[in-house]
Amino acid sequence: MSDILLQAENVGIRFGGLQALEALNLTVRDKELCCIIGPNGAGKSTFLNVLTGTLRPTSGSVRFLGHDIAGLPLHRIARLGIARKFQIPSVFPSLSVEDNVKVARWGAPSPVRPIGELLELVALTNRAATLAGELAHGQKQWLEIGMALAIEPRLLLLDEPTAGMTPQETLATAQMLLRLKGEFSIVAVEHDIRFVRALNCETLVLHQGRRLRSGPFHDIETDEMVRDVYLGRR
Amino acid sequence: MIARDRNWLLIFAVCVALAVVYPFFAGGYQLTVIRDALIFGLFAASLDFFWGRTGILCFGHAAFFGIGGYIMALVTLNDAIPFGSLLGIVGAVAGAAFVAAIIGYFLFFGGIRGSYFTIVTLAMGVICQQAAVSWSSVTGGDSGLIGIPPIEFDLGGLHVDLSQDLPSYIFVTAIVAVVVLALWSISRGRWGTVLTAIQDNEIRAAALGHNAPLRLLVTFVLSAAIAGLAGALYVCMAGLVAPDLSGLLLSTEVIVWVAVGGRGTLLGPVLGAIFIQRAQQTISSFNPSLWPLLLGCVFVIIVFVLPDGILSIYARLKALFKGGRRAQ
Repeated sequence: MSDILLQAENVGIRFGGLQALEALNLTVRDKELCCIIGPNGAGKSTFLNVLTGTLRPTSGSVRFLGHDIAGLPLHRIARLGIARKFQIPSVFPSLSVEDNVKVARWGAPSPVRPIGELLELVALTNRAATLAGELAHGQKQWLEIGMALAIEPRLLLLDEPTAGMTPQETLATAQMLLRLKGEFSIVAVEHDIRFVRALNCETLVLHQGRRLRSGPFHDIETDEMVRDVYLGRR
Repeated sequence: MIARDRNWLLIFAVCVALAVVYPFFAGGYQLTVIRDALIFGLFAASLDFFWGRTGILCFGHAAFFGIGGYIMALVTLNDAIPFGSLLGIVGAVAGAAFVAAIIGYFLFFGGIRGSYFTIVTLAMGVICQQAAVSWSSVTGGDSGLIGIPPIEFDLGGLHVDLSQDLPSYIFVTAIVAVVVLALWSISRGRWGTVLTAIQDNEIRAAALGHNAPLRLLVTFVLSAAIAGLAGALYVCMAGLVAPDLSGLLLSTEVIVWVAVGGRGTLLGPVLGAIFIQRAQQTISSFNPSLWPLLLGCVFVIIVFVLPDGILSIYARLKALFKGGRRAQ
């Protein structure tokens, strides 16, 4: 029991008349990697927003190490050890790559990894002095991951980390995450099935705000219902 | 050291050197002119420290200048208060900081940013000026307070008496140099880098664990405190304080000084303040009504042609020549 990091229980959220999420459960154990997949509009990003405390669920609860995190200010959530990579790369364009990582590191309660190691982990060592606004799209995504690592998170939440990446970049990102697995827990919301296949981990499939399936990826991949939903037959 | 930092320090050293040799060539009156311009330069640097680093424009910065001025005047004009000059300066700085802390707290923690912040601070400036006019039993109303004594104090056996031109020039120059250097080292280090990050994307900075509203508030309070210090110095040098010192016109002028000198450079606004006041005196001697017209035009031209201020001319020329060479 004690290795449970994040526990979402019976989470539901309503926007006016729209039931965006309904009765979702997710348990993330320490140093576990898991993916949330689903077609567009399935509620993946909304669920991630609930998990990071940005959105307060209308029912159910989200607990991180036993604390209820709904509605906490952003910087407090960050200091609890939850790092988040946004869907749209949101690096600081007027700062250099190195300063971006520094800013992230300064925000951390107890940074461990030196700047050089962080840059190396995300393959940006030779771009350290470049302004982040001038990076290629894929590199911005990596920089974001590097910034998320800088706060030495217990839990890293990634919102579509490979959005807009080339297939090679996508695979490189998956390998990056597999290397990091075992240091902390990672939850990735993803659209790209190749990426999830490369990660080959516990997977939760959402459809219209509800849990459709959950389990190891190879079970999910062969599931008829999941295929139907993904291919739009339902 | 980065080239940009080296250039800044070089320009700073040149300015300090010029300020040091200036008294050898200038008479008493010219010294007081530059001294007063430097005080306004300090005021401009205080606005730039906030505006340049956060990208949020305060349109009522003269309120803090005025608050500092009035507190200094009231403390030094009251014979019952000992160590008037020193306490006056401390009070002026603390008073401006206190008002900024109260207003800033509600604005920053209430999520007010951008143009909304500008509008609220604009109103704050108008309120301060109105208060100075209306509360005549304390502030002297429209005519203000006169007969403020020059700064005079003893500190650790050192007797400072600024009733003469040269000592007051040296004192002001030293304070401006020290404060500008201090603000620069704050803004290029960790504090300034995080502020730039907040300016780029505040939510992201918060998600990384930075308390953005608190950091903005502290920066605003520091900026107001220095504006208060400038106000306190000014009223002692001028010998009077009036509602204009917290008014809308001064708030606008300081924005022009910063814009002309180059936002975010700290040194540029000081130079901008000196140049523009010099120009104002020259032009007003031909025709006093010409100045506001020209000031407005200069502001518009700067915003369109040189958005980074006069210090950027060199960098732009360099980029132009580089670009030209590459094209060949």
